[in-house]
Amino acid sequence: MAKVAREVVEKAGVNLDQLVELLVKNAAAELTTYYYYTILRVNLIGLEGETIKEIAETARVEDRNHFEALVPRIYELDGKLPEDMKSFHDTSACPPASLPEDPRDIQAMLRVLVEAERCAVRGYTHLCNLTAGKDHRTYDLSQAILNEEIEHESWFSEFLGEGPSGHFLRRGETSPFVSKFLR
Amino acid sequence: MRKFTKKELAQYDGKGGTRTYVAYRGKVYDVSQSFLWQDGRHQVLHSAGKELSGSLAEAPHGPELLEKFKVVGILESS
Repeated sequence: MAKVAREVVEKAGVNLDQLVELLVKNAAAELTTYYYYTILRVNLIGLEGETIKEIAETARVEDRNHFEALVPRIYELDGKLPEDMKSFHDTSACPPASLPEDPRDIQAMLRVLVEAERCAVRGYTHLCNLTAGKDHRTYDLSQAILNEEIEHESWFSEFLGEGPSGHFLRRGETSPFVSKFLR
Repeated sequence: MRKFTKKELAQYDGKGGTRTYVAYRGKVYDVSQSFLWQDGRHQVLHSAGKELSGSLAEAPHGPELLEKFKVVGILESS
């Protein structure tokens, strides 16, 4: 635990118990999404499926990075992760990104992917709103993750025909915003 | 359609196996099947069995997510 770091956040008016619980729920969402995206990625096959496999893989790896980046902040604030995996899964801030009934239905696959990203965008927006001007470190981390989640959403949204994402996919390295928390 | 007082709505707080109802702008929604309302709690800060119009105004989403759920009644204003 980082004693003074915790005190200053509390003094700034943040309810630390609520914040830590939210961070754990979002960490759970990242790790379970990493798991479910593994299944989705494997099932992205055929001409259409292969087209989005690469971005599903990038989003999958970056979600795992988000989990890795959130864990130290949880412990700094005197939180901890649940000891059993099932309760961790069930406490997730987002619903399971389960494989659709027909995995060959690429539109259905994309809807699962984009809804998972939209849930994450809402979650980190919420965390940014709660910590802005009060808990600079959690805000910085949440904002970095939010940047990547917004990009993920825009990639899948583009494939759903909702409009252009406005930017290129990753070139090589993953997590351009969150990598500073992973060193 | 059933009319709920605030006291009646409070009984549907999602705890101990009860249904999970929330009210928004006079309508009572059944969110019992939502993964995000397990045990009558939503994103740490919100509890079921209550009128959430004020909370939703500050949420990172609009009423469209709530409107996916079935309306089971109307909340009486007093």
